[in-house]
Amino acid sequence: MLDPITLALTQKRLDHISQQMGWVMMRTSRSPILSQSHDFSCFITDGAGSLVSQADGIPIHSGGGGFAVRALLKAFAGRVEPDDVFLLSDPFVAGGNHLPDWVIARPVFANHQLMAFACNRAHQSDIGGGAAGTYNSSATEIFEEGIRLPALRLVERGKMREDLWQFLLLNSRTPQLLDGDLRAMMGSARIGAEQITTLIESLGLATAAEYFAGIMGHAERRLRAVVDALPRGVYRGESRYDDDCFDPVDLRIRVTLTVDERGLTFDFTGTDAQLRGFKNSSIVNTHSAVYTAVTTFFSPDIPRNEGTFRPIRLIAPEGSIVNPRLPAATTMCTLFPTFQIIHACWQALAHTAPDRAIAGWGPSVFPITAGLHRNGETFVMYHWGCNSGIGGVAERDGFDLFGPIPTFGGLIIPNAETDEQLYPVHIRRQELRADAAGAGQFRGGTGADYEVDVLVPTEVTFRAEGLRSANTYGVAGGLPGVMGRMTVTPAGGETQPAPTYGVRRFPPLRVTVASPAGSGYGDPLRRDPARVLRDVRDGIVSADAAKRDYGVVIAAGGRTLDAPATTALRARRAAERAAAE
Amino acid sequence: MTAIAANAGWRIGIDVGGTFTDFVLTNAEGAIRVLKVPSVPTDPARGVMNGLGLAAEMLGLSLGELLARCAILVHGSTIATNTLLEKKGATVGMLTTRGFRDSLEIRRGIRENPWDHRTPYPEVLVPRYLRLPVSGRFDRQGREVEPLNEADIHTALATFREEGVDSIAICLINSFLDPAHERRAAEVVRENWNGRWLSVSAEITPIMGEYERGSTAAMNAYVAPRTVGYLLALDAELGKQGLPQRMLLIQNNGGAIPVAQVATKPVTLLLSGPAAGVGTLEYFSRAIGSDNLISMEIGGTSCDVILMSEGRVAVSDQLTVAGYHLAVPSVEVHTIGAGGGTIAGVDEGGLLFVGPRGAGASPGPAAYGLGGADPTSTDAQLVLGRMKPGPYAGGSVTLDGAKARAAVAEKVARPLGIDVEAAAAGMIRLLEQNLLHAVQRISIERGHDPRRFTLVACGGAGPMHGATVGRMLGCRRVYVPRLSGVFCALGMLHSNVRHDFMRVYLDRLAEAEPKAIERVFAELETQANAALTTDGFAAADRRLTRQIDLRYIAQQFDVRVTLDSANQDPAAIRAAFEHEHDRLFGHHQPGGIVEITKLRVVGIGILPPLPHAEAAPAVADSRAVERRRCYLDAARGFAEVPVHAGASLAPGHRLQGPLLIEELTTTVFVNAGDSLEVDASGNFLIHLAPA
Repeated sequence: MLDPITLALTQKRLDHISQQMGWVMMRTSRSPILSQSHDFSCFITDGAGSLVSQADGIPIHSGGGGFAVRALLKAFAGRVEPDDVFLLSDPFVAGGNHLPDWVIARPVFANHQLMAFACNRAHQSDIGGGAAGTYNSSATEIFEEGIRLPALRLVERGKMREDLWQFLLLNSRTPQLLDGDLRAMMGSARIGAEQITTLIESLGLATAAEYFAGIMGHAERRLRAVVDALPRGVYRGESRYDDDCFDPVDLRIRVTLTVDERGLTFDFTGTDAQLRGFKNSSIVNTHSAVYTAVTTFFSPDIPRNEGTFRPIRLIAPEGSIVNPRLPAATTMCTLFPTFQIIHACWQALAHTAPDRAIAGWGPSVFPITAGLHRNGETFVMYHWGCNSGIGGVAERDGFDLFGPIPTFGGLIIPNAETDEQLYPVHIRRQELRADAAGAGQFRGGTGADYEVDVLVPTEVTFRAEGLRSANTYGVAGGLPGVMGRMTVTPAGGETQPAPTYGVRRFPPLRVTVASPAGSGYGDPLRRDPARVLRDVRDGIVSADAAKRDYGVVIAAGGRTLDAPATTALRARRAAERAAAE
Repeated sequence: MTAIAANAGWRIGIDVGGTFTDFVLTNAEGAIRVLKVPSVPTDPARGVMNGLGLAAEMLGLSLGELLARCAILVHGSTIATNTLLEKKGATVGMLTTRGFRDSLEIRRGIRENPWDHRTPYPEVLVPRYLRLPVSGRFDRQGREVEPLNEADIHTALATFREEGVDSIAICLINSFLDPAHERRAAEVVRENWNGRWLSVSAEITPIMGEYERGSTAAMNAYVAPRTVGYLLALDAELGKQGLPQRMLLIQNNGGAIPVAQVATKPVTLLLSGPAAGVGTLEYFSRAIGSDNLISMEIGGTSCDVILMSEGRVAVSDQLTVAGYHLAVPSVEVHTIGAGGGTIAGVDEGGLLFVGPRGAGASPGPAAYGLGGADPTSTDAQLVLGRMKPGPYAGGSVTLDGAKARAAVAEKVARPLGIDVEAAAAGMIRLLEQNLLHAVQRISIERGHDPRRFTLVACGGAGPMHGATVGRMLGCRRVYVPRLSGVFCALGMLHSNVRHDFMRVYLDRLAEAEPKAIERVFAELETQANAALTTDGFAAADRRLTRQIDLRYIAQQFDVRVTLDSANQDPAAIRAAFEHEHDRLFGHHQPGGIVEITKLRVVGIGILPPLPHAEAAPAVADSRAVERRRCYLDAARGFAEVPVHAGASLAPGHRLQGPLLIEELTTTVFVNAGDSLEVDASGNFLIHLAPA
């Protein structure tokens, strides 16, 4: 029988330890993708590799860490020793999500018994492969994406394997960053392991294991309580690919959700076969995407550990986009198809709890420009300034520009002034789009009109979705957001449409983006007319669109509602609709 | 206006809180008088004047006599914060650079908790239809590439007039590099608009980053009319009643500023209350004999943690108030939802939780008998015998032990299947673990080892938890000020006047032209001297400090280095930067390129320090007024402990724990093995037994 007080204290303590590991990572890691973009997560598993705490980290790493620890336990069965440190990354053999995310796992022993692992998973600055910076958008095989790491014993009983270390550094274009970041990861895991040891010793060995199980049991009960309140049944969701990184395509991710006494089963049978480009989702990433979809659909208060995910079952056919076979390329998977998997799951979940439905987000479109400063130093600029709008929910309109879906806003958009100081660019515009947001009782986010002059010759990496079609959806009567547009105008040249994927060299150029907008939640005719008026006054919705989409009539002068005309128009629309049905 | 530095007479600190207004009065001999009166939220000035009247009465003076004998009156006001929280700010119009009117609404996409995507952002302070574009542009090098289009300003002003705008903010792109367009735009507005309130971004905070700079200007414009109106009216009233000089206000940076100088920058008052804690820590550091302190001020619903290392409290340019992001120099305060009114319960999965939600003043803890059914920390303390049923806080409430017990039994003990005392003990242990984590966050995250610090436990609920949290942290001593309940008002009496001046300056440290840097520092010092002269400080009472913000190239975080005689040349500055970088981030890059981002001058006007009042020493042993069964800790369980009346304890007293001390508004808990010492000024120092 567990003491309920100790259980509560232990759960909070473990979360605090994993958070503290995150502070150490933020403080000690070198490359901007970790210290600024926080593209890492710190987590703790029990001795069998079940995730007990992941209080720090980006959403798309949800629940993924356990796969890595279980892979290393399989590889080193019975041979894990105190003061060892393990390193692994491969999505096919080592529980990885995608190749650039490396996992450091440090076993925690108490009284000679393997009790836990202190770990982190972090995106490395460069791991070799066909393109600098880990994203090779022309890859068709994993072998073009970088070095594959099986489960490796990097530190053996406290002694670093120097040969292995040199081998790793030799395979990166940025060995200094890799060196620093790996040391930061190991430092954070060591501090976590020390604190977990103290905790386990204070609880007692046998008891500690019981409390870890108790913490997972609690999380499982929390999710089950939510699931038990859902109507049993079978629900479907589907999302599309319109681009395979080379050509237009029409591929589908299909999910069938069964809600029954076992919990939630997400069956991806019917999903199209794996595709040519690097947008296949490893099975670990597919799990994390489904977990993210479920936890973001329900309450943020539900803990997120192995217990939470026990009532969730996945069926992912081998050889499909969501569980590809070797040698599929997968590096883009944390962004796409994560986007599509989450959207398919949200659609299915929306049938179970319509009031919690999440309207589709605008797909991401942000180019990356790389070139040389006047002094000859290299720069790489991600154009986060043209993030997309997200979907409406019953609590709010969609956010107008928002960090991409794997981060849920964890990625903070830089100021234009800061970008201008860091890179040779002149930003001309970053504004909300007009008449782009999907209409709804709660409308979608607008997306951005973004225009930038890149002042030096650059190599531009394109990775844009939502340019061939809107590829988003409204819910509960809401309308889809408007698709994106992107053009490039090389100095002295003609304006031309930008490619969706690929790498091109340009002289100084102007990039103009209208990023995809988010979709609406709920019937636009039910939107508070005062909010429609505000959008019209704000120039986000035109008076014509107000009339057409929302049934709202703005009085002459544009500053007030014509209330009687609005009431009449909305009544007429409702009647027309009833007649049509 | 020379009287500000006067020495004789009373100093009065006034902290207007949501529920109570605290007054602390002290004179050159160190005598201290304290008064707590209910705030008058509808008319805060009346609350202040009423309280001053009562304070005068307490001293046997008329209000006029008290004010006439007042050397310094310092006001910590929540008026700016309340204006924001109550949405009573101005209708603001904003001029922005064409193409960038939306940065205020985009908010850089910042979310405090990425898992919570459903909570809407707080309402944007200036609607888009009042954020109007003006053509004109400086480029990344500060060159004008497009002239300011004044016609756009006239067009915007026409809209502002039509829409009843009563406060205007201006934020133009790259004004931190060259404010010429903003200045000219301000002139055009002043010449053509008959409104009074104008907030110009680079004048308020010339930082890089159009979102934070613009958000600060917009917030300033929003709170200005009501805040400045109130402060000037109160100041005039005080003058009329006999106050010989202008009142001082506590700013976000922890320093004081005369009311006249804050009138253009009321946004610097949003953290006015908690920031005064810096003055309190400075004051106590002399009594404690250590300048490494962590304060944990625990009230009804929240706990504010401030860390002072080697006499310095970190001041950053980042401040978030009610979800709005501001860039004004602000003391780093870490706040969590943990206090006497924090609610506990059991979640759907059967796990105990404590906070972050609180019961507030009404209904408050179940024991208040005002209808609260949820058990709070206060209720748990009653069950545990650490607090006593009956009249509390000078009789303003009566604690009902049975109601407390029933709430803990119903909402915690029964669902967990344990007895009510175990449940109450569990609530307190979880709350104290949350407090521990809060202190660890502000210390460990910033590279400080909390074991080097003395924990200062204050606020109504702090002294109950100080010893336990201090032990978990590994501290050796916990300080409990007798005036724990008026922590901030006390700090106001010990705050020096402070003005911050800053200029963005982007250059590589190794290549920067020393003369150019010297020129900027000299300009900033001229501004600082002018401000302090206006305040009435003679040269001898001014202290100017140069600081420089540095980072490795393209790094996100700046590291601040204070320049002194030891580090003037680039090599010494670099060494100081690397030393600090090591502490903050655990490493430095030997070959890394270091760049300068900002130059700063902090101007301090030194007010004469007040002596510590020497309390009368003990003449006899303190005797316990009663013995009560109370909970000690998980290992020891319950024990009979002596309860002492605070009034009976005097300097020289040394007592062995376990014991409780009952003061008017707080209870001090000292565990077995710990010892309590009353110091020369009558405050409590708890020496913790080694773990």
